[in-house]
Amino acid sequence: MPSGIALAIWIVGMGAGVCFVTCSLIRGSFLRYFFLNLYVMLALFADLIRQAVLRFYGLDSPQYMYAYFYTDCLLTITLFVGVISLASRVFAELHLSRYVRLAAVLLLLGTAGFSYAVVAQSTDRLGTRFAVELSQNLYFVGLVLTYLLWGAVLKLQETRTRLVQMVLSLGLYFSAYAGSYALLNLNLAVKFEIVQYLPPLIGCFLPISWAVTIMRHTEEARLTPARLVAVPR
Amino acid sequence: MSRKLGALALALGILVGAMELKTLLTTHSNTVVIMANGVSPLPKLPPPSN
Repeated sequence: MPSGIALAIWIVGMGAGVCFVTCSLIRGSFLRYFFLNLYVMLALFADLIRQAVLRFYGLDSPQYMYAYFYTDCLLTITLFVGVISLASRVFAELHLSRYVRLAAVLLLLGTAGFSYAVVAQSTDRLGTRFAVELSQNLYFVGLVLTYLLWGAVLKLQETRTRLVQMVLSLGLYFSAYAGSYALLNLNLAVKFEIVQYLPPLIGCFLPISWAVTIMRHTEEARLTPARLVAVPR
Repeated sequence: MSRKLGALALALGILVGAMELKTLLTTHSNTVVIMANGVSPLPKLPPPSN
């Protein structure tokens, strides 16, 4: 059975997800950021399934493990498509959207092929191992892609506030997961109980930050790009 | 054509970079997963795929 803290995080995360999708619908941005909304809706759906399995079978059961990792694989693919949709919008003014999509398809196929090659020798539970491997590899691809997108936003002096804040949120989200992974590997979870709550807590961050972005800024809002000042020596 | 080749090179570059990063981070780790989506608690981790 989940503890009180885990349940509280779950409720906050679900509320944030519902808030983001509702705000997108109200502000007329649902279709504009369709893949981000799709990701949040699938995350809500996945969390409902996981919670049902968790309550029925328990945290240490293989059923919960399978439900968690299969839904995680689906969510990682959707998040990857979400990152590509943001990249496509950033490069739209350079008329490179088509090539960004081509690169994304090649990247997805390449990652799937690589993941299969890694687990191909394993005959038992190939499907589960493939789902875990693909999800993990796509996580790293998404991480690299988000940092490249971060660089492109800076280099192209992107001024669209919503777009910039959504890309920055993704970068922070991926970085925070990498940080929580490092903490879990240090075995701090045994010493400090709070460490084991970090991954679900970080899971709340993305819908909250996106919801705040959608609520606070309109599509027309622009940032003033920072200027480089030449200082004579 | 060159742009298509550029897209292919970019995809390969990102894939290689991502897998390098993964190898770097997971070589000395005692768990096999890093990713997680959603707000549900982490389950028991699956055994490494050796």
